[in-house]
Amino acid sequence: MNKFRSKKFLFLSLAVMLVLSLLAACSQNTADPGESKEPGNETSSNSGEEVKELSLFIDAPWYPVKEWKGSVAEKITEKTGIKLKVTVATDDKQLPLMIASGDLPDLVFTNANIDRMSDSKLSYPWNELIEKYAPEFKIDNTRIAIHTMDDGNFYTVRNAFATQEEMAQNKYAIGNDGNPGIAVREDILKELGNPSIQSLDDFTKVLGMVKEKYPDMVPLIMDKDWIEQYFIQQIGVEALMDGWYEQDGEIEYAIKHPKMLDYFKFMNSLYRNGYILAENFAHANDQIDDQYATSGKAFAHSHTVSAADMDNIAVKKNGGAYTFKMLPSALSSDAKSVSTGLGFAGTFITKENQDPEASIKFIEYLASDEGKKLTMFGVEGEHWTWNEEGYPNLNYDPSDSEFVNSNGIKWWYLYNDGITEGMLGYVPGTQKTQALMERKEMTIYKPEIGLIQTQPDSEEKTIKTKIDEMIKNEKVKIYLSKTEEEAIANYENMIKTAESMGLQKLVDWANQTYQKKKDLFK
Amino acid sequence: MDLGTQMTNGSAVKQSRTDYWKRFKKQKVLHLFVGLGMIFLLIFAYSPMFGIVMAFKNYSVSTGIRGIFTSEWVGLKHFDEFVNDYQFGTIVRNTLVLSFLKVIFAFPAPILLAILLNEAKNLRFKRFVQTVSYLPHFISWVVVVGIGFAFLSSDIGLVNKALMSLGWIDKPLDILTNPDHFWGLAVGSAVWKEMGWWTIIFLAAIAGINPSLYEAAQIDGAGRLARIRHITLPGMQGTIIVVLILTIGSILGGGLVGSNFEQAFLLGNSINNPTSEIVQTYAFKVGLRDGRFSYAAAIDLIQSVISVTLIFSSNYIAKRLSGSSLF
Repeated sequence: MNKFRSKKFLFLSLAVMLVLSLLAACSQNTADPGESKEPGNETSSNSGEEVKELSLFIDAPWYPVKEWKGSVAEKITEKTGIKLKVTVATDDKQLPLMIASGDLPDLVFTNANIDRMSDSKLSYPWNELIEKYAPEFKIDNTRIAIHTMDDGNFYTVRNAFATQEEMAQNKYAIGNDGNPGIAVREDILKELGNPSIQSLDDFTKVLGMVKEKYPDMVPLIMDKDWIEQYFIQQIGVEALMDGWYEQDGEIEYAIKHPKMLDYFKFMNSLYRNGYILAENFAHANDQIDDQYATSGKAFAHSHTVSAADMDNIAVKKNGGAYTFKMLPSALSSDAKSVSTGLGFAGTFITKENQDPEASIKFIEYLASDEGKKLTMFGVEGEHWTWNEEGYPNLNYDPSDSEFVNSNGIKWWYLYNDGITEGMLGYVPGTQKTQALMERKEMTIYKPEIGLIQTQPDSEEKTIKTKIDEMIKNEKVKIYLSKTEEEAIANYENMIKTAESMGLQKLVDWANQTYQKKKDLFK
Repeated sequence: MDLGTQMTNGSAVKQSRTDYWKRFKKQKVLHLFVGLGMIFLLIFAYSPMFGIVMAFKNYSVSTGIRGIFTSEWVGLKHFDEFVNDYQFGTIVRNTLVLSFLKVIFAFPAPILLAILLNEAKNLRFKRFVQTVSYLPHFISWVVVVGIGFAFLSSDIGLVNKALMSLGWIDKPLDILTNPDHFWGLAVGSAVWKEMGWWTIIFLAAIAGINPSLYEAAQIDGAGRLARIRHITLPGMQGTIIVVLILTIGSILGGGLVGSNFEQAFLLGNSINNPTSEIVQTYAFKVGLRDGRFSYAAAIDLIQSVISVTLIFSSNYIAKRLSGSSLF
């Protein structure tokens, strides 16, 4: 009997444990995204002042800083009395799901969901908060105009944006890493007799020489996210694959650009000549190309303007003896870079926010000259001093991502601008600076094209997403065609498919939007 | 009906009721377990089903959960859109081909292995094979694909390097990127990963066969193959049919070995896309990733309808042919 009882007890306790673990799993599940949702948690800081904690969701799974720590974060807390409890997205669907379930934190920092978050049901309009709590917070009209929605409110201001005039006035604002570049092996170039590379033709010739002389090497390896940009610009297509370009006041989709076919033919010739790997188009992550480049298995590395600097650091760490150097940013007279950028990402003060006043004041501080420089360059005196010429003398290497990330430099730019950020790139003597200066020369600014943005849940958005998804698949077929004729046929087929999917309707909509919005910049 | 019978009737009802409660009380621990399972199903399987109405509405995530009910009805618009998609034919073909290939190859594989293992006389060898063959089941697909890359990549893959250095091939095989190889790759890796796991259930079925049958057959002069054909296979029949029905029910997800989505998503790339894009990955890319939940729901609903039809018809056929069935 006793035995039976203890058995029964065992079963019961097992059952209870099961229930408990089930409940625990449930509550964990729901609490996970909301973990950051303990707003208004007031703890006291070292100085004895009250520090308010706000939760922040960063809608970018790749974000390099995941915690509110490092000297920059500490300094910001010291100045504003606010610290952030940060959650970085695990994937790009997390924010849409949080919106759907109503589980929003105090602040959201996003680039992909700006239109979705710019909604009075989800976020506080900045204009209202500024009027009420921070009347001194001045934002220039262009930025306000860009972000004003149809309801007359603006809910955020993107960072990393600068107008053409601002760029022209600030000689040392040269832009950031987000620009394409190609690095090549200096030692191999030398062994080939230092052939000059002044045009795309020269470059392909050198790739041919490499293939012949070093058959085991991959002549050109490309980062999976930086396959197209460099060449598309050299050939003179004025937009990237999923973008718009303007000609004689009319807007057209990039794949229909008159030079797009030339671009595809060029890429196809690279493949047919064996200069690039087919597998390159199937890279699952953005480390594979770096490994090729820094383990000595590739001659040229297509990545960003900091490719050479970053590869050189990595090679040196591995004990390698060779170096990379950047190709010129403009390899042909056709080279054109049209900047339609409106900036990168913006911060939203959500309707779930427990303290909108503190939040807008926090952003106001980040938007001040002091705040911008602190976030972008680091702590003054410790990380940089101001050069009278008009740029910071950094005492660290901004390409040294380990140092930058561990100190939280740059990444807390919840509000900033392209000028301050552009100066971070200015380090006299580095290859990146050189490449960026060359780039600035060939860049035309047309932010009005950037305003052609499909609204969430709209028909145009559906059409555009589907066409872009189609292009993503079809373009690889063109790149990997066996003959040039096949490439041309595949290209024409892609255009035809796009048209059958409603491209014309999309273009008409884009033109209407463009006509409505372009005057914002006049 | 006089008063007496009425009274006895009443007490009989009462009696059976108390019997029922007595029985229930006796089995309360068991009921507790069943109850837990039912609660689990209710919460995680049944309650989310109301979301299906989304497929017929224009739902936007920013309206929250309430939006599922308040958004406007659009009828079959999303179904129409999917059916008219330029890739519709390809996607459906890929889904069906991949699923049926898996049934054809992945379903018999564990049965075969179980029979082979049953015939193996060396116990150590048998255990070794069993362990080795079921271990891959515990590796996640992400890792399997990573291993696959290290082995099969045309540039750095071990297999290609070995074949090249042996001089068997003079150009690396593009197993991971060639669209012609995707189905073989997917089916092959799924069989490798799950075969050993499913062998366990078939071995259990074999273990349930009365050994005297084998002895009798041996005395009657039946050889090995004859014993397999006339004793082992018929003895496994019930298990085979139940597993087959389950397989067909989940056929569009990959059947027995599952993982159609994982494979198409992880092994698929823009080069092998013409054969690797399946309904689920498409729903994920064009539906979920862009927050078009209505569209994704519609696509999945179509798939579910096909699945349900398949499971009922296979159950019916199994009942007619062999007498054993799932329900």
